[in-house]
Amino acid sequence: MIKIEEVTKKYPGMVRPAVDKLSLNIEEGEICVFVGPSGCGKTTTLKMINLIIEPSGGKIFVNGENVLEQNPNELRKKIGYVIQKTGLFPHYSVFDNIAIVPNLLGWEEERVEKRVVELLKMMNLDPDENRDKFPKALSGGQSQRVGVARAMAADPPVMLMDEPFGAVDPITRNQLQNEFLKLQQKVKKTICFVTHDIDEAIKMGDKIAILDQGKLVQFDTPENILFNPANEFVEEFVGSDRSLKVLNLLRVTTVIRKNIKRVKEKAGIDEINKYFSHPEKNRILIENDEKEVVGYLAKEEYHKISTAKGWNKAIRIFPTSLNNHNTLKDAMSDMLQHNIAALPVMDDDDKFMGIVSFADIRSYIGEAYEENETEKDQDENEVL
Amino acid sequence: MTELRRIFNYFTNNLDRISGYTLEHLILIVIAIALSVGLWVSLGILLRNNKKTADSVLGLGSFIMSVPSVAIYGILISIPGLGLSRQSAVIALVLYSMLPILRNVYVSLNEVDKSILEAARGMGMSERQILRKVQLPLALPVILAGVRVATVMMVGIATLAVYIGERNLGVLIEQGLKRSRSDMIIVGALLVTVFVLVIDFGIGWLEKTVVPKGIQSDEESKTKAKAGGEI
Repeated sequence: MIKIEEVTKKYPGMVRPAVDKLSLNIEEGEICVFVGPSGCGKTTTLKMINLIIEPSGGKIFVNGENVLEQNPNELRKKIGYVIQKTGLFPHYSVFDNIAIVPNLLGWEEERVEKRVVELLKMMNLDPDENRDKFPKALSGGQSQRVGVARAMAADPPVMLMDEPFGAVDPITRNQLQNEFLKLQQKVKKTICFVTHDIDEAIKMGDKIAILDQGKLVQFDTPENILFNPANEFVEEFVGSDRSLKVLNLLRVTTVIRKNIKRVKEKAGIDEINKYFSHPEKNRILIENDEKEVVGYLAKEEYHKISTAKGWNKAIRIFPTSLNNHNTLKDAMSDMLQHNIAALPVMDDDDKFMGIVSFADIRSYIGEAYEENETEKDQDENEVL
Repeated sequence: MTELRRIFNYFTNNLDRISGYTLEHLILIVIAIALSVGLWVSLGILLRNNKKTADSVLGLGSFIMSVPSVAIYGILISIPGLGLSRQSAVIALVLYSMLPILRNVYVSLNEVDKSILEAARGMGMSERQILRKVQLPLALPVILAGVRVATVMMVGIATLAVYIGERNLGVLIEQGLKRSRSDMIIVGALLVTVFVLVIDFGIGWLEKTVVPKGIQSDEESKTKAKAGGEI
């Protein structure tokens, strides 16, 4: 959808180009995040896509067409643009601000009206309450919502977002990010997103492009950036806590165990004895007659309870459960809080899906890093 | 008391003459201000992206302002074709208004928040559209403030145009000085002051009417909001 080919930006009097022969490809419906330290060329690259900054060399294709061969003003009407300071027109009402591009395109009044109201609702802003407000009456979060609505007004397939959530407080930022991701699932825009915050990049990006000194250092999925940083620069930029960041990225469904042995509450002792006789089987799930998981049984505890009292006394109830949208970080947090090594995962209909355990998370992430370590070793061997 | 009565008597006895002078004064100011706004606002727009030229033109404006007005009138009437005419008076006033109007136009157009301009450009507005729909409306309060200063100044300087043949309120002051008639001087001065106040008020009203609501000063919107709340 967006293809950047060998794009260079050189400013007169500067030794090193701001952007140096950068090439990358952004697929349709993807959020690609440009991230890097200040001066790395991420904003310059973004602004070259809609020709706010003119490239010194190279080609940029949006939807198959070379942007350099198009009238910049016509091109920009087809590309949504969101900036950090919102750039809302202070003398325009919220309605008029959102209606700018539709009006430039000469839409009929009714169509503009319908679209603006639709967008305000989409952005969780009450249309009646907000449409006639002026930007100075809006909070930071509201302004940014209007900014995003304005960029989406004419339904452009491509959007450029330059640190869109950079100027709001952390709580609002988190809220805006979540809302935007939810919205993106519906609208499926192709988005270029600039940030200097690696956590935001990991959260928002389908792909992340890490830039340094005008060059593309790594262009990959967030998982790969975390598990397999291309070099020391990326490793450092991502931070020493990258394994913790992975937890935030992965959903519990990646390490879920689904086929765990389950027995009925009223099951006979033989069945359990037989299962636990296997030296590696330490836990068993207990379900009621409705096949709902009610708890679990641990081998040690089971053996402590004398059979006379009934083995049911050893059943432990899960203190809490996870949702399938939860991240591994949520899972770990709950496990630590409740001092438990495994938790059940429920789907959206609150049906039991499986179990996530501390050991599984540890081995999953450990293995992922180990694999990369061995890959690196192999590379080194090849070099030697 | 007698002095006050003298002033009052002079005013009532010469009402016809005085209203004639006031009208002449008004006509001169209206012509001059219309020309000034047209000329200096256009020049400001032309120079808005050209700092070097703008700086030297504004320097010229400061220089003109530092020349005593009587001298300017004197220079203008010596130019063939102008002479002792209304043209000379109008040109002098237009020259004097250059600095306050041009400077405010230039500065305010350049002071529009860069992020607003970038957003406008990013949405595909042409330079013309940006000027008309964004820069000028946002610059309007400052431009009007410049016009206000220029107009107030013109009313005063126009009184001196009596030395080159104008018959306005300045006549009262000039004649009063020549004939040591304090009542005439005071009536002239008071009328000029009233004139200034009226014009000042008028432009203030214009500002409230034409400046977009979203950028009117907070105080006004606060009082409006308050009033609205009470109703």
